[in-house]
Amino acid sequence: MTAALTRPVRPRRRQLRAVLLVLPAVIPVAFVVIGGVGTTLLQSLGLMPLVGTAELSTAAFDDTDELLTSALLSISIAVVSTAIAAVIGFFTAVLIVSGNWGGRIVGALGAAAVTVPHLVGAATVGLLLSDSGVLARLFGVAPEAWPALVAGPTWFAVIAEYAWKESAFIALIIVGTLATRITSYDETAAVLGAHRFARLRLVLFPLAAPSLLVASAIAFAYTLGSYEVAWMLGQTYPEPLSVMALRLFNSASLSARPEAAAIGVITIVLTAVVVAAAMLGLRRMRAWR
Amino acid sequence: MTLSTSNVDVDHAQRIQHERRMPGDAGRPLSQSRGVMRTARITSTALMSLWFALPFLPLVLWSFANSWSAPDLLPMTLGADGLTAALANGAVAAFGDSLLLSLIVAAIATPVGAMAARALSRRTLPFGRLVSVLLFSPVLLPPFAAVLGINVVLLRAWVPPELGVILVLVVVAIPYTTFSMRVAYAAYDDGFDEAARTLGATSRFALWRIHLPLIAPALARSAFLAFLVGWSDYLVTLVVGGGQLITLPLIIASSASGIGNESSVAVLSLSAVIPPLILLAFVSRARNLNPGKQS
Repeated sequence: MTAALTRPVRPRRRQLRAVLLVLPAVIPVAFVVIGGVGTTLLQSLGLMPLVGTAELSTAAFDDTDELLTSALLSISIAVVSTAIAAVIGFFTAVLIVSGNWGGRIVGALGAAAVTVPHLVGAATVGLLLSDSGVLARLFGVAPEAWPALVAGPTWFAVIAEYAWKESAFIALIIVGTLATRITSYDETAAVLGAHRFARLRLVLFPLAAPSLLVASAIAFAYTLGSYEVAWMLGQTYPEPLSVMALRLFNSASLSARPEAAAIGVITIVLTAVVVAAAMLGLRRMRAWR
Repeated sequence: MTLSTSNVDVDHAQRIQHERRMPGDAGRPLSQSRGVMRTARITSTALMSLWFALPFLPLVLWSFANSWSAPDLLPMTLGADGLTAALANGAVAAFGDSLLLSLIVAAIATPVGAMAARALSRRTLPFGRLVSVLLFSPVLLPPFAAVLGINVVLLRAWVPPELGVILVLVVVAIPYTTFSMRVAYAAYDDGFDEAARTLGATSRFALWRIHLPLIAPALARSAFLAFLVGWSDYLVTLVVGGGQLITLPLIIASSASGIGNESSVAVLSLSAVIPPLILLAFVSRARNLNPGKQS
């Protein structure tokens, strides 16, 4: 319409203009995404060795026990932290959209948490939860008696850091999509006699569900592929996928490169499965409406 | 005297009006909590505030602690030892490198994302859905997997490490800028551009004096997101940068992996937390222009 009014432009030229506008974004993204994934795949299959001849092999995937342990660990950390983040994020969003002064404070603190780099989050959660950390001092517990939250078998500190950051992210995404229309729906339901929990279950939750699902899927994908938090706050063994991949990548052994790439491929596949499931869920949600 | 009385009456009338809000009006009369629920709301507000604020506490406490041995509740001696150690670790140079890197990433990813969002919002783009999926994919791609692969490509293509870091971080930032600008363009009215052109403005004039001022708040928000991508990154700078680029997260990581560096880690972390918070304060104050209402 704009083009029609301002200058007579044929459809072909409008298409060309749109393509030219989108190319500066598409070219680098395609280069990095396709180049990165493609190279990782080729390396994992032994087709791109640092030295020697390229030869198709699945040797990098052979250590199935180790890979399975790491994959299960990564998935567990991601599932637990995303679940906590989704619950806290949803209730935080409900508090924020209620529009009270308390909601504004929580909103500001949540926005502040989103801006904190994950590495800094890991550093400060370490200072908070370690055996001589701030919480141990607050509760007056001696370092020997404090449970091993950092670098312990429960991965508590790692999960806490992800849950903290991602709950703020999920809350802000939900608030962003709901802020404009939730108040009138909520009030209409209240006028019609719906009680607080009925409104939460039948009005707020269904309206928030699609963005909750999308934000949780993004948080899950991030947690699964993230490196620095698990590396700083986690146990040395067993390792999550990302930590194992980076250790192999940096190791001196030449055979380790394909193994690192194989872990990359596994993580990409896992992420794709989760994202596809989330998209299916989203489609069902829309169909249900 | 009479004037002040009438003022009081106006206030009173406004208060009555305030209590008589109808559903759909701004405000929340019926959905406002009372009694037990009010207590529950205040308690949950306090708990949520604690949840989000607690991790900031060690940064503040440790930043000014010279010595703070284990059972003590508060630092024993306050001082600037942490700051001195952080400066000795090259904090200033790293801070500058982080700032420069983040600004470059934002300066590239914001206009690129805005143009892509404009094209996607027009529906004249062939394969628009495919392009959307591609531009969103870096969010879902595990960073370490992509970085291990692209690092080999960049090395074989002899791309300087600094350029490689910028390229990969711009790609990571493009989904955020594109999709935040798409939301902005979904609410954008082409009528303003058309009116300017009908009144004889050149397309360049309409872009600079009409279009850009109207989308400026959205541009600021997406530039902030792109800045955060550069500012928060650790892995890309580490692997693709290959030691050529030492940013703040890199020296935080190296300090944190040592023992007894708590106060220097806290000072470095605090200096990494504050700049985005300042930017956030500016960005959240930028409101959308509404040219329909001249007030």
